[in-house]
Amino acid sequence: MTSHWCDFQNTDVILHCGSNSVENHPVSSLWLGKAHDRGAKWIVVDPRYTRTAEQADIYCPIRSGTDIAFYGGMYHWIIENLIDPNLEKYLATGEMGDYNYEYLLNYTNASYLLDPEFDFDPETGLYSGWDEKTKTYSNHSWHYQTEKEENWDTSASGDYAWVKKDGVPEFTTPTLTLPKRDMTLQDPMCVYQQVKKHYERYTLDAVCDICGMDKETLELVYSTYGSTAKPGRAGMVLYALGQTQHSYGAQNTRAMCVMQLLLGNIGIPGGGVNALRGEPNVQGATDMGMMVNEHPAYLKWANTTDRSSLRKWLESQTYSAGYYTNKPKFIVSSLKEWFGDAATVENDYGYDWWPKVPSEKGDQDYTHISTFELMKQGVIKGYFNWGMNPCHSAPNAGNVRRSMANLDWLVVADQVETESAAFWKAPDMNPAEIQTTVYFLPCALIYEKPGTILNSGRWLQWRYQAVEPWDQAKPDLEMCDLLWTEICRLYKEEGGANPAPILNTKWDYYVNGKIDFRPVSWALNGYRTANSDFKAGKVDLLKGYSELGADGSTSCAMWIYSGFYNNNDAPLDPAQQPIGRRDNNDKSGLGLNSNWAFSWPSNRRILYNRNSCDTKGKPWNPDKKLMEWDGSKWDLVDQGDFVSAKNGQQVPPNNNTFFMLWEQNARLESYGMEDGPMPEHYEPFESPFDNALNGSQNNPMIKFTEYESTAHGGTDEYPIIATTYSVTEHWQTGGQSRSCPALVEAMPSQFCEMSEEFAAEKGIKPGDKVRVWNKRGSVVVDAYVTKRLKPFTIHGKTQHQVGLTHHFGWTHLYGTGDTVNDLTPNVGDPNTMVPEYKAFLVNIEKA
Amino acid sequence: MTEMAILYDTSLCTNCKGCQVACKVWNNLPSPIGTNENKFSGSLQNPADLNGNTRLIQTFQERDAVRGQKPVDWIFNRRSCQHCTEAPCATVCPAGAITKDEDTGFVHVDDSKCVGCHYCEGVCPFDVPRYRTEGIRDYVNKCTGCPDRVAQGMDPACVSTCQPNALRFGPRDEMLELAQERLEILKGRGYEDAEIYGVNEMGGLHVISVLKYGREATGLPANPSAPATVGMTRVMKPITGVVTGLTVVGLAAMFALGVGYKRDKLVYNPETEDTVSLITGDVVKHGDAQDEKSIKEHILENHPFGIGKGGSDE
Amino acid sequence: MNLTRRGFMKATGAAFATSMAFQLTQQSPALAVESNSDWKLVNTEEYTNICCYCAGGCGSLLSVRDGELINLEGDPDHPINQGGLCPKGAAMFQLRNIVDPETREVIKNPDRVTKPMVRRPGASEWEDITWEDAVKEIARKVKDTRDATFEETDKNGLTVNRTPAIASLGGSQENSEEEYLILKMMRSLGVIAIDNQARV
Repeated sequence: MTSHWCDFQNTDVILHCGSNSVENHPVSSLWLGKAHDRGAKWIVVDPRYTRTAEQADIYCPIRSGTDIAFYGGMYHWIIENLIDPNLEKYLATGEMGDYNYEYLLNYTNASYLLDPEFDFDPETGLYSGWDEKTKTYSNHSWHYQTEKEENWDTSASGDYAWVKKDGVPEFTTPTLTLPKRDMTLQDPMCVYQQVKKHYERYTLDAVCDICGMDKETLELVYSTYGSTAKPGRAGMVLYALGQTQHSYGAQNTRAMCVMQLLLGNIGIPGGGVNALRGEPNVQGATDMGMMVNEHPAYLKWANTTDRSSLRKWLESQTYSAGYYTNKPKFIVSSLKEWFGDAATVENDYGYDWWPKVPSEKGDQDYTHISTFELMKQGVIKGYFNWGMNPCHSAPNAGNVRRSMANLDWLVVADQVETESAAFWKAPDMNPAEIQTTVYFLPCALIYEKPGTILNSGRWLQWRYQAVEPWDQAKPDLEMCDLLWTEICRLYKEEGGANPAPILNTKWDYYVNGKIDFRPVSWALNGYRTANSDFKAGKVDLLKGYSELGADGSTSCAMWIYSGFYNNNDAPLDPAQQPIGRRDNNDKSGLGLNSNWAFSWPSNRRILYNRNSCDTKGKPWNPDKKLMEWDGSKWDLVDQGDFVSAKNGQQVPPNNNTFFMLWEQNARLESYGMEDGPMPEHYEPFESPFDNALNGSQNNPMIKFTEYESTAHGGTDEYPIIATTYSVTEHWQTGGQSRSCPALVEAMPSQFCEMSEEFAAEKGIKPGDKVRVWNKRGSVVVDAYVTKRLKPFTIHGKTQHQVGLTHHFGWTHLYGTGDTVNDLTPNVGDPNTMVPEYKAFLVNIEKA
Repeated sequence: MTEMAILYDTSLCTNCKGCQVACKVWNNLPSPIGTNENKFSGSLQNPADLNGNTRLIQTFQERDAVRGQKPVDWIFNRRSCQHCTEAPCATVCPAGAITKDEDTGFVHVDDSKCVGCHYCEGVCPFDVPRYRTEGIRDYVNKCTGCPDRVAQGMDPACVSTCQPNALRFGPRDEMLELAQERLEILKGRGYEDAEIYGVNEMGGLHVISVLKYGREATGLPANPSAPATVGMTRVMKPITGVVTGLTVVGLAAMFALGVGYKRDKLVYNPETEDTVSLITGDVVKHGDAQDEKSIKEHILENHPFGIGKGGSDE
Repeated sequence: MNLTRRGFMKATGAAFATSMAFQLTQQSPALAVESNSDWKLVNTEEYTNICCYCAGGCGSLLSVRDGELINLEGDPDHPINQGGLCPKGAAMFQLRNIVDPETREVIKNPDRVTKPMVRRPGASEWEDITWEDAVKEIARKVKDTRDATFEETDKNGLTVNRTPAIASLGGSQENSEEEYLILKMMRSLGVIAIDNQARV
């Protein structure tokens, strides 16, 4: 989230789209309820009437997978109704009325001129730069026209003097290309005009036809949410997997950003683009960069092209302006923590010991979906599952277990016998034929170990161990240490394939000879290398990331966390660290709770918060003040997300309000996406309908359709749209929730939710079992016949959609069931490789 | 302590069932643990009804919307003890297992005193008390109001866990005021049928409900009342246990502990010396109904496992 | 530092949480000694933790007596959930202990597995294994797989130090310190196929 849970109370309009937070993030209900009681309007856009919809004021159904049409229509509506009518007047008088022109012009790239070659062709559904041979884009024409260039001042008195310090690896500093702008927004190549042109096709009628909405409702949604464009008003969008789990999920997410930028809703109290993360520490795992191409703290992992050496990394990753000019400090400090004394400027701080991910066009992908193909091919032979259960949670789960049967070995660390641990016991598997050795390592429960966890609002909070793990269960930390120690012993004694990366890895996180969470916390926070010696129990913690250097003087695994564990007086006591703070007296009146625990970065509670003030530094809404320029200095209520002071001097307001981007303005159009600079509607991999808005049926870059296992099913055989979702009473694969009798009792099985109309057509009655199938699999579940799902009318045709919950499987004592993910397609989004669970085709019969 | 109440606001309630689960966890109430022993009810309402180990369930009903922009009304409710001021269950309980807390107004349960007579089941206008069977005995199960927690200054478990603040706990007059505030908000949002339930029903409930869709749609009795016979049973002295009951209540206790004994509940009216059906009020036996058999004999006579009549000791 | 009553610290007196549980911190310890043996939380110590389900980050409060968990509920001081917990959070106690419907006793949750196990090739059942043996066997397999598949350089002669043969999945269930060590171990082994729940 750019915001956090307690900030929900500050909003004027709530928009749920692709999330059902009242059911799946239940604590949201407290904060949304507060906003609602203060008069906020509440909109839910969802294929079915959920428990969230029951709380809301306005409900608008939407066919799964058509969100971009919905958002595109909103841009069109905003431009036609809010921006264009009074733009001239604003330019002449500065009068804003119901629209925040100042935000649009000064804080976004609306005025930036795009390359003259920039184009989109609705006939083909393709942007300029498409290469049919590789099915990829060159983003060259998606960039801006350049006004002038500037270089870094690395002289002794310059801003970038640190580049020349001893120990800083050599690299060519970047050149800032200042974009051409038209502050009147009239130039046809300015981003605003291009956005306007692009979404002219997204009329109310077109949107209703594609999404299956009713025009009156849609207009009500647009006008209600559009009311937040007025300076001082706030609208927040809450989203979850309903947006991301599509073959254009990343564009869905961008679509929400564009909407929020057009309405001036980012960086203000009660605003933001709020991803409601679904796992207890998925925020932490994302921060940690536990993904093929990622590196801790939103840096990029080493690869074989633009990051094939430390120098190349520095040259491709370091921004020319804004805060990411500091990236060299982050990566060198990360290497220094990773390899300790073995990391020196001479050996590029050990950069080449890191594995490099193949990244040339056409190279093998190694992300989640592809790993199962690689198992089938015999490339991947060994597999670790750390509290994750792909045999249940991965799309096309039948394909997953058949692939896993090809593994030599599998290690599962969990608290229950998951479907993955027991894949060889699945009803359709024959153990005798499966040669995989499987190790089950019993893990400690959350309250049987200490440590740091992050919530969706980026708060780092400490878990205190309450009880000892049962029997032989152990925290994963201890498992890692046991394994690593033994692996190191083998390499020391026997040698083997290049032992250097292993033996040079710093692994000294012990207290009194025992592996311990706290020294790892030190590593995450960062420390001065010279004064720290973990083996001797000595550490010199950094106050925050501003102390990081690119010269090897500091070590830090997670620059964004720096400051969360920085009290040198009590390095072994988390309660005396910022993460351990428990002062719940909120002085901001806005629920910032700045003295409770710690929020990254730098205890900032609302990201991009400089946007809460106008260009003169005055809050758009004086009642909800995050900061204010009083004429000579900044009064900061939240930690400022901008340069408020430099060299001890206050910096008066400027327009660099998004300083994590080199432009320091936000992007309505972005060259950073793989599959297009602006969100465009495409149909899901499996859809009963032709794309009505352009000539490309699917995302032109949709991933993994070349894998045979994806088994596309057509409308003739599979006429019903299906989506998946969760219930409040269960969670994910049920590993934890099916282990709790009270939860199995509260929701004993998984179901297929369907309209009364559809049930009548198929002769299905409440309580019947139904079979749901497609080319990938077949499951039998309970029928849930409801008024809360209605057939859609799409392009004049009646279309049924059903919803499936997915929490049961063949293991566990209290509740079992079929694996619903046997049905979901293993295709993905080209930016994120996230699978398309949320819209696919099935057929259904009474079982 | 003053008269207390739980405020339940159906409009803030998200029907997450946190209360339902917290009740089980705090009170160490078991759930079935046989593989797939629990069955899907056909909707989100699971288990479908209260039972011997479930004191609170959240209910789900849906209907086509009566008014407003939204197509459906999804009606949520809390199904549990309403803690009546005039609590018929406490009145008819012959064993002192169900008692009124004269301070708080809550209706407590001490199931160790329960003789398994099922009288409370029959008289509750909200059909709340349930029984669990343990060995040959039945024990009453209903919401106790968590007097243990309340005595320690805590809220009942269901209230503590409620995330959207749909449940509150406090002095009853404060809860009534809050209810009024909530009602006004709902009316302002166009919920014309919204109303407060429990102000005067059964002499005033100690669960005050703010009903977004009104009592009829929510499925609550418009005018809850106890069977007429409850008044009569007031003359019977409560007994404190099976043994002491022997000489005191005659027929009233003779149906105690009858596992699976499903005959209509009968009560004895000492004034008329009639035996009366608790539910219908029909006289089933005139005259002196005191009989010669011991309670135990009656119990064993009706015992489903046919344990030897007459018993062997005591 | 502001150490509130739920400051995880082990109570010095046995009865810290007896009736203090929901009273104010700085009150006289004498209050705490008010003993009522029927009281479920008598003589318990309190610890705070964070929920293991969605990323709400709700605080939980655990009452422990003689090393065993007696109760788990929402942390009333926590600014996000203010004492509340959803059904999943409210049932977190049951991850460890449940009530046996037969005996009505609190027992260890039989659905949990708390001993290492191994399933051998072709076998249809698990076998028990000691931690020591499991660690030895896994380390050996990791090393054999890595040694057999390790690529020090790629086709262009670039140093790549990787193995395509091992994959690691997960992390969102772990604490951040664990995530770092998992990542560090895997990357230093040369693993590129690393993913976690964020990918889905």
